[in-house]
Amino acid sequence: MRVTDEARHLPSPAPPADLRARQPKAVHSALAVLEEVARCGAGVTAQEVSENLRMPRATTYRLINLLVQDEYLVRMPDLRGFTLGRKVVELAHLVAPVRPPQAAVAVVEELRSGIRGGVHLVRYEHDRMRVVDPDPDFPLADEARLFAELDASAMGRLLVAELLETGSPLPASVRPELRGSPERQESLRREVTAAGRSWQVDAFTPGFGCLALPIRGPRGELVAGLTLSAPRIRIEQPGAVLELLADGARRLAPLLR
Amino acid sequence: MTALERAIADPPPVPGFGTRSPVDGLERRSVGFVDVLAQSVSAVAPSAAATTIPMLVAVVAGGATLWALGVAMLLSLLVAVTVNQFTRRIAATGSLYTYVSRGLGTGAGFVAGSAMLIGYGFIAMFALAGAGYYLAILLGRVWPGIPQTPLFAVALIAAMALVVLVVIIRGIRLSTRLTLLIETVSVGIILVLVVTLLVNTGPAIDWSAFSLAGSTPANFAVGAVLALTAFVGFESSSTLGVEARRPFASVPRAIVWTVIVSGSLYLVATYSQIVGFNALGLDLTSSASPVNDLAGAYGVEWMGLLLDVSIATSFLACAIASTTALARVLFAMGREGVVPPAFGATHRRFSTPHVAAAVSVPVVALVPMIGIALGWGLWETMETLIVVAAAGYITAYVLVCVAAPVFLRRIGELTAGVAVRAFAAAALLAAGVVVYLVVESASARWIGVVVFLVLLAAGCAYYFARRRRHPWLIETIGVYDVPVAADVLGGAPHPDDLPGGDGRSGS
Repeated sequence: MRVTDEARHLPSPAPPADLRARQPKAVHSALAVLEEVARCGAGVTAQEVSENLRMPRATTYRLINLLVQDEYLVRMPDLRGFTLGRKVVELAHLVAPVRPPQAAVAVVEELRSGIRGGVHLVRYEHDRMRVVDPDPDFPLADEARLFAELDASAMGRLLVAELLETGSPLPASVRPELRGSPERQESLRREVTAAGRSWQVDAFTPGFGCLALPIRGPRGELVAGLTLSAPRIRIEQPGAVLELLADGARRLAPLLR
Repeated sequence: MTALERAIADPPPVPGFGTRSPVDGLERRSVGFVDVLAQSVSAVAPSAAATTIPMLVAVVAGGATLWALGVAMLLSLLVAVTVNQFTRRIAATGSLYTYVSRGLGTGAGFVAGSAMLIGYGFIAMFALAGAGYYLAILLGRVWPGIPQTPLFAVALIAAMALVVLVVIIRGIRLSTRLTLLIETVSVGIILVLVVTLLVNTGPAIDWSAFSLAGSTPANFAVGAVLALTAFVGFESSSTLGVEARRPFASVPRAIVWTVIVSGSLYLVATYSQIVGFNALGLDLTSSASPVNDLAGAYGVEWMGLLLDVSIATSFLACAIASTTALARVLFAMGREGVVPPAFGATHRRFSTPHVAAAVSVPVVALVPMIGIALGWGLWETMETLIVVAAAGYITAYVLVCVAAPVFLRRIGELTAGVAVRAFAAAALLAAGVVVYLVVESASARWIGVVVFLVLLAAGCAYYFARRRRHPWLIETIGVYDVPVAADVLGGAPHPDDLPGGDGRSGS
């Protein structure tokens, strides 16, 4: 979607009336504001949103400031304009998840048939991860905690180590013990860089653990991860399984951008 | 939700965001609402003010003490909601200095900045001296043999300055948690005394406490400004704009609630002190230490000791909070290049502006220590220090109230209600500060007025000299925390933006 200057000055198509009938008005208005910012693109001002939606100015400004408080909207550095915050991705359950390409799914399926344990495929984007192909036979232990405590899981630790490596800021979902300790951050970064993989044991299910191998894009950036959930001993001494997974990761790399 | 769906599924790139904020180095987005609230509450030091301000206001406002306090509370609320026009939109460490710079330009901004440095600095001096004063009384009660010499007071102040320095360098969470604990206990002790007084004087409301007898418009105005000094500091949580987890939510809430909570405490404490003295047939203004006298007269002498502990620690908390704010204003100036860049450095491990703190604390401690060493009484020194601080705060409040509508108009978000409230507050405060300075310059504390005016003029002279040598300052002043690429959907870092940026502002 391209940002056009004309779009900012055109009134938006009439807001869907059925939403108004069923939902409290404030929620409807908040969604309408988010929709309008998405429609106009980065840099749209509060005044433009108010005019396009034909909403009273004081109401619009209050709503926009509430959405900024909750980080669904972000004020641009010039303080006038707005853009969507990374947090709107949390509304993504409204949007169908993007399936990985069929060729990649086939590789993962092949790995699953040859390995005892759960094999999951994860995609990374900036400081976020999404489980795009969870193993249907081995469901994830605690999906909510996976995202709430990024540094608890092997797949999350892979991302945290990458963020530390590139000097990017850590997201709020990294637990304070790690966030507040440069020493721990350094040891995590070293551990993952040296081994070329991350792992955890006992963090979700006692006696079980998980390891994650990175899949990198053409410039060496982390784009995806291949993970194995298995009993503790097979995570600590993976043996030949590690070779299988590493081979899978190499074959997946060109298929995942 | 079509455009929103598309944006989430395939975020259009939004260029122009860095990977780091210009105020990088502080512990960004790390403290919650309670810590933010603690910063403002401690800077106000409600328990110390509730025990000292009613008497000071009663001396000038006569019978209208409660009304003067009520007017001061309303005025503070007006300022608070106006300041919040900024705190909802800008996350910064420079507080009113940054806001006025963004609204009225760098020149007016620097006047506000000097005024804030004076306000935070002198209130910290006042609080350190106050902590020393009450700690000396306290130690005298516990060990009657201790010599109450000036040297002893100087040593106490030096020891507490060391505590302040360690606490504010060791990390923002330690200082906010410690000061919150202190303030909660102190306010609790005051409330116990209030309840004791009200139970003893009976359930009937003493309407004479609300009479306006013996008050003229002029001394009522001075009383209201004096009462305002019990509120100053409520805006100081805005210096944690970078460190607060959800700054646009927690800072505005902390500012308004600080005014409401401390104002309610003052009204209740003042009412109970007035009726307490009325029932004894005595005058509030004739007492040297009203709360101790009341505790004695109502058979709770043991509370005297507790009250001294509470006041001493409340002053210490106020010193910690005010120096925390002072260091962060200096930190912003260091990042902008207004003061040497070393002030903008942060501690590698504790993520605090340690250089700014290490410079501020000795200055803040030395002024009252020198005052005492020169033979001024501790209490007289404190009375003069508070005049300087109050003038600094109120000057900055006037400027920020003028700046808010100008700023909102520029970003296209001005509404009529906000403008009316802001200008009303600016006009009332401007009149108040002029009356206050005139009245105080005719009093024994005239030296405070002179010090304030000289420092403000020196600050402005420094700014103009600095800007002549570094014309680029006009671009850098007003530094604030800009969102980084990671906060933005589709945020793409600028290709030139390498880690360790040059700390320039985001505009």
